[in-house]
Amino acid sequence: MSVSYRRKRTIWNLVWAVVTLVVFVLVLFPPLMLFFTSIKTNVDALKYPPVWIFRPVVSNYREIFGLMPFGSYLANSLIVAIISTVIALTLGSLAAYGLARFRFKRSKDLSFWILSIRMTPPVAAAIPIFIIMRTFRLLDTQLALVLAYCTFNLPFAVWLLRSFIQEIPREIEESALVDGCSPYAAFWRISLPLIAPGLAATGIFTFIFSWNEFLFALILTGTRAQTVPVALTAFVRETGIMWSHMAAAGVLAMAPMILFTALVQKNLVKGLTMGAIK
Amino acid sequence: MRDSKVAPFIFIGPTVLVLLLLVIFPMFYSLGISFTEWNLIRGGSWQFVGLRNYYYAVFKDPYFRTSFKVTILYVCAVVTMELFIGLGVALLLNRPLKKVGIYRTALVIPSTMTPVVVGIIWRLLYNPELGTLNYFLSLFGLKPLNWLGDPSVALFSVIIADVWEWTPFMALILLAGLQALPQDPLEAAIVDGASPTQVFRYVVFPLLQPTLVVALLLRLMDSFKTFDLIFVLTKGGPGMSTEVLSYYTYRYGFKFFHIGQASAMSYILVVMVIIISQIFVNYLRAGEE
Repeated sequence: MSVSYRRKRTIWNLVWAVVTLVVFVLVLFPPLMLFFTSIKTNVDALKYPPVWIFRPVVSNYREIFGLMPFGSYLANSLIVAIISTVIALTLGSLAAYGLARFRFKRSKDLSFWILSIRMTPPVAAAIPIFIIMRTFRLLDTQLALVLAYCTFNLPFAVWLLRSFIQEIPREIEESALVDGCSPYAAFWRISLPLIAPGLAATGIFTFIFSWNEFLFALILTGTRAQTVPVALTAFVRETGIMWSHMAAAGVLAMAPMILFTALVQKNLVKGLTMGAIK
Repeated sequence: MRDSKVAPFIFIGPTVLVLLLLVIFPMFYSLGISFTEWNLIRGGSWQFVGLRNYYYAVFKDPYFRTSFKVTILYVCAVVTMELFIGLGVALLLNRPLKKVGIYRTALVIPSTMTPVVVGIIWRLLYNPELGTLNYFLSLFGLKPLNWLGDPSVALFSVIIADVWEWTPFMALILLAGLQALPQDPLEAAIVDGASPTQVFRYVVFPLLQPTLVVALLLRLMDSFKTFDLIFVLTKGGPGMSTEVLSYYTYRYGFKFFHIGQASAMSYILVVMVIIISQIFVNYLRAGEE
């Protein structure tokens, strides 16, 4: 290869590296800002021009638990996300198996009907659900949130798990069925273990959706069942006063999501597009 | 599979039942409410008013019209920018990379982190007195902006935050699409001496089209529902400059407690989202059959 070609290549590689670096700086700078603010004292956080060199502190993380019952908000978020994930996976894997493996009239229609439900605008579902929860005196309970989160987690789980089950060759189950295995045993002993990675990925997604959810949590909870995102907005009302505490709370909300994203990264595209793109 | 007739019901029944109770029944309920005048604060009773709420929203309420315009502007702006920048980033990263998992995770952080936290981050950046963005502007000798407080800038600022949040999602999907492209037509075009622009225009673009359509439809649908970011950044203000439909509906329902009117407005949003979601569903269906 000629020298000029090689030089052109090197220049292109350099340009590529610089542009890529810029892209990642633009993506990562805002969350890093949040993190740095969270380890500044409030005095440092409110300095202008911004200080880039400072003595890091962890006190903000401790103090938010005293400023508000942040521990119980974390617990609410965790409990609601876990229970709603368990429900979505349990009912979802059964339905997904049924839709993927049984041939009956309109089974396709039913699958796509379930997918469509996932796309309901939350604010539209929130109005009747609020009135229903109020009627049953369920406002400000974890149960109300768990039920509300099923409206988007369950269709999502059915849809995604269905695509995982479709990837398993039918013959594996069929040989078991020929040997006299019931469809329930085939599901439990053969299909479920085979889609274990898919179950884990789906569960991580439904956990992320529940943890991040804001609108239902805002209108269905008051003080007792409040979740982290709603609690975070309480800091926003006092912007300028407690920046570093707000940032610390934000980091605590964000950190588990980054971890989960890393865990599920092989299935990210599939999950985020509801299986439309593998 | 040959088996008993009850098995499908046992597998699928519980999910269908739960969805009927938690989604379909409530949605019919709110369709009913949308034909009534019902204020939760003024006391319990409701009154049937037919289509009046819809008529009011579409023809009488200037705020609804403003909100509708803001929504369309917002949706068009974010989806277009996210699509183009996302495609650019996807093309940039479409080469053999070591440790692709780290790139992918780092890239998609904005789209999987809590949207309320995204709002908080951008409030810190946009703060007129202490924010980093105005500091950067001052370094270049530019005048500071009142990012969220100036009615002529606020919508733009929210759009920037949305573009930051969702462009990575777009890039990730398109990158997956690019990497799944068949290599033969690409190589054939290159061997035949096509320029990079020609390769993109005549080979990559047509092959990538299904992925582009899916990404576009998903973002279109979700951007119509934007709520969290508006709530944290501007609460629809200043004035009505950032009041998107989902936020306006929320205010009607949960600030004024005009449940009837709010339901009617929410149904207008539902119809728009259903149209897009059915295009999406039909698209997937065509792929499956």
